[in-house]
Amino acid sequence: MANNAIPRDFLKNVLQNGMGRYVCQLQRITFRFCKSHPGSRHMRDFIENHLLDFTQKNPGVVVYLQPRRHRPPSIVAEFLNGRRESMEMMRKEPQEICKWAEYMRGRSGVQIVNMIHNNHTETPSTQGIWHPFMFRDSETAVAKFPDPKYSAVRETGKTATDYVLEEFNNKE
Amino acid sequence: MAASMASKLFRAGARSTIRKVSLFSNGLLQKGPRRNYDRHRMRYLKEMYQKRLDAGPEKPRRRSEWINWNYDAEIYAFGQRLGEEFEESTLRQAFINRSYVEGEKKKRAELGIDIDAVPLQLDDNTEFANEGSVLMSSYLKVYLRNIYPYMFEEGISAAHDYLTTDEMLAHISKHIGCEDLILSEEFPTSSATLSTTFKAVVGALFSDKGRERAEQFVRDFVLPQLIETDINELWQIVNPMGLLKAVLVLSGKGEPEPRLLWKSGANTIMSLYWVGIYSDKDFIAKSPGETILIAEEMAAREAIKKIMKTEDSRAPLVLGAAAENLKLDYERVNVSAEDIIRKYYGSEDPQKNTSTSL
Repeated sequence: MANNAIPRDFLKNVLQNGMGRYVCQLQRITFRFCKSHPGSRHMRDFIENHLLDFTQKNPGVVVYLQPRRHRPPSIVAEFLNGRRESMEMMRKEPQEICKWAEYMRGRSGVQIVNMIHNNHTETPSTQGIWHPFMFRDSETAVAKFPDPKYSAVRETGKTATDYVLEEFNNKE
Repeated sequence: MAASMASKLFRAGARSTIRKVSLFSNGLLQKGPRRNYDRHRMRYLKEMYQKRLDAGPEKPRRRSEWINWNYDAEIYAFGQRLGEEFEESTLRQAFINRSYVEGEKKKRAELGIDIDAVPLQLDDNTEFANEGSVLMSSYLKVYLRNIYPYMFEEGISAAHDYLTTDEMLAHISKHIGCEDLILSEEFPTSSATLSTTFKAVVGALFSDKGRERAEQFVRDFVLPQLIETDINELWQIVNPMGLLKAVLVLSGKGEPEPRLLWKSGANTIMSLYWVGIYSDKDFIAKSPGETILIAEEMAAREAIKKIMKTEDSRAPLVLGAAAENLKLDYERVNVSAEDIIRKYYGSEDPQKNTSTSL
């Protein structure tokens, strides 16, 4: 696929989250499973043994259980920014389902794309970016070139040639 | 939408084909590789694809129309998510739009139920919204005046107006999860309704937990929206040099004196001029521009930024945990630019109110 067709974006913070207070961006999560099919065995195990821990830790997330007859298990996460993500949970063990639920809880809900940079700011420089006039004397604006003042050779102190000549003369 | 549904159909077809292939390759039904492809399935999928396109996109539905929806749980989670302890009844009322109450009344009338005999017992959120709106407006102004004490009152008002537009409040309202909870006749919910609901939530918090908690809520959710916006851009100054002149003279300094500092590429499309502004031979500000006039105006804006102490190097907003012990002067009123201009130009002839040229 062409490089410019792969979505890329800057790092985003939904609603400046955490600047005021932190709000968990996972709004609701639905665990879908079958009550009888062996494919949903691990999901049923998760619901029996681990789901209550998840709900008690996260009272701000609404948890739904949705039995679906003879359909593969999955989780559906809905985020505050309106996005919805579903994930197949077939052949995933209860511990792994716990981890995926935690993963959804920790996400901002923004679509995962290539990052252009790992950091982003709207104000790259608070002191002003460099420009060619930054350290230039404003007197040059009114000078008429060629100006003897600006054409003079700068005094640079002792040069390498001077040093060698001095050494040579001393030897003689 | 339709296209994605259709591609899903295709994928479903492809999956079942793969299953069939694996069944064949097991040697259960046929030996050797499969030498045909399912032409009928292809035709069927094409037909379904076209049907999906003809049917058009899915119509938007309320979230509450789906089977996994429990309004009580959603209301509880809303408060928990924001870390606020609302009374359940007030929070419920905050989400009831006026149109919903009217709609319910109409439904009852159609069913022939006497409203006087069986009262509806539904109050809408108008009162909460009004209270919340007043509280939010006053707190935003107080906060901004205290954080930017040298900023002109017009600038403070502009920032306040930017934060309290319907679009901005609707954006916040959506991102704290109000959209699905709103009870309203209209769908999709308009930004006006979303904004009213946000104000109502602030009002509900005010009535439940008092002023301080509601103000903290406003500080945590509304004020962070100023981050990454240039506060100087929000206030449109018509004649910056006129204002600068008035401010400098009234504060006992000399009139501003623009000077050309450097220029480059004059008479080309890449021309660049740097103009500096001096008062009593003291440097105030400088700025670049494509022409001398633009550079002069930009330098004047830069000087006003310096006077208001809202340069790019200003301190960040005090938010979050740092703002908990913030001492705010509620009576504070900043200097108004209009007053300064009236004071300076009021007695003199209006011709002075034009930008000075180089």
